[in-house]
Order: sequence, then C-alpha cells, then structure tokens
Amino acid sequence: MVSLNAVLLISFLLFSIGIIGVLIRRNALVILMCVELMLNAANLNFIAFARHSGSVSGQAFALLVMGFAAAEVAVGLALVVALYRKRDTVQVDDINLLKG
Amino acid sequence: MEHFIETIGRNMFAIFGVMALGGAAFMVASRSAVHSVLGFLFAMLCIAGCFLALEAEFLGMAQILVYAGGIVVLFLFVVMLVEMSKKKEKEVFQLQSRYAVVAILLGAVAFLGVFRKVLFGAANPQALGLLRPELAQGLDVAKQNAQAVSRGLFADYLLPFEILSVILLVALVGAVVLAKTERV
Repeated sequence: MVSLNAVLLISFLLFSIGIIGVLIRRNALVILMCVELMLNAANLNFIAFARHSGSVSGQAFALLVMGFAAAEVAVGLALVVALYRKRDTVQVDDINLLKG
Repeated sequence: MEHFIETIGRNMFAIFGVMALGGAAFMVASRSAVHSVLGFLFAMLCIAGCFLALEAEFLGMAQILVYAGGIVVLFLFVVMLVEMSKKKEKEVFQLQSRYAVVAILLGAVAFLGVFRKVLFGAANPQALGLLRPELAQGLDVAKQNAQAVSRGLFADYLLPFEILSVILLVALVGAVVLAKTERV
C-alpha cells in the first residue's frame, strides 16, 4: 500500500511546479497547461485520501474535477484563439487592453 | 531478477510520481510551446500511472482518455494555429514584483503548516470498506473499481454530476461563440 505521505509530497511538488509556471511564463498556452497540472495535483490528493479513508467519494469527486477541467480548457483555448485574432499575440504581457 | 521486478512493482507510485515531476519541470522550462505540450502529455500519462498505483483503475483510464486523448490534442491544435507568430517571443520568463513573491511564499508556508500534521504525523489510517454497506451489496469493491465509483457517484453525487453536465454544455456553447470569426 502506497503511503499517504509520499502521495501528498508528490502532489505538493506538482502543484508548486504549476504555480511557478503560472508565475514565470509569458505564454498564455503554457499558463493554461500549468493550471491543468495544478488541477491534476488536487485530483491526486483526492484519490489518495479516498484510498486511505476508505470511501469512494474522493474518486467520484476526482471524476467531476476531470470534467470540469475539460470545460475549462475548452473555454480557455477559445479565449486564446480569440485574443490571437484580435492582438496577434499570445504573450500575456502584451495584453493590456483593460489597462487605463 | 525476480526480486528486482518485485521491488519495482512495490515502488510503482514513486517511479511514476518522479517521472511526472520531470515531465512537469520540462513543460515549464522548455522554450518552444510544442515541447511544453509534449512535457504536459508525459506528465499526464505518468499521473495516470500514479492513479493506477493507487488502485483507482477507472480514473487512471479516464485520465488517459480525457487528457492524452482530448486535451493534449486540443492544445497541440491551438499551438499549431497560434504559434506561427510574426512577433517572436522576446523573453520566455518574466520576473514578478516583490509583493507577488512575498504573497506566494506566505501561501506556501500556510500550506506546509496545514500539511505538517499529515506529513510528519502518525502512521496511515486503516483503510475501511470503500463503499457504504448498503451500496456495496453484491459487489467486490476491491476488484470492480468502475462499478464502485459509479455507485458512489450516482448515489451521493447525483446533483453535482447533473450540474457538471450543464457546465459542460455552457462551456461548449461559450467556446463556439468565443472562437468563431466575426465575418460569417
């Protein structure tokens, strides 16, 4: 049986990599991928706790999170494509339409 | 040799976890967006392996189908569509302001505080049965993972499931509206 601490450590590190990616990258696509990575780290925690608390709820909820992530990717990528049509760039620091 | 294989089998989670970390790091660090997508694909496959090692077989397969089969292909399409930019990427990375760094560090400390008890606390709790007894009737929960998940999902999480289907519909319509060209 996999120890809970190992899962928590791996998922914490995955989440940290995701946060670092969101903070330091400029490409909007890579930022979206990092968000996906963070959602997956959370899923890993759900499944680990489901495994160790003896309830199937965690797995059911991880499935819901997965569907939610798919919806988020669809909308996010549509936004990126629309933005590219308008501004010809996907670099987030070139996007300052709302800056006064 | 047999001993070696047995060791690998026991440490499957650690192996897949470390490989997922490697894929994620490659995704963040690589300059080209296509390489990032490939790192993302590798990380997702390794996370699916982690799910399998945690005995969530249905979710592992769903992870492969949804991520490797759907989301990565979508990302690749958009990268091909968008990345042929006239303006080249000036710098790949950016530095954040001091306040953002301080806020993130505070958040990490709070996170570690929450997990300190779990990480360094007592040993693992004893695993109980995976399902409530009245739901687990006539089911070998340890072997029939998909059935167990579906019984839990449709007994206790029916309303979230239906709400998720509405969210998916809204996202579908929203994506079409956002991405369509204006001169149709």
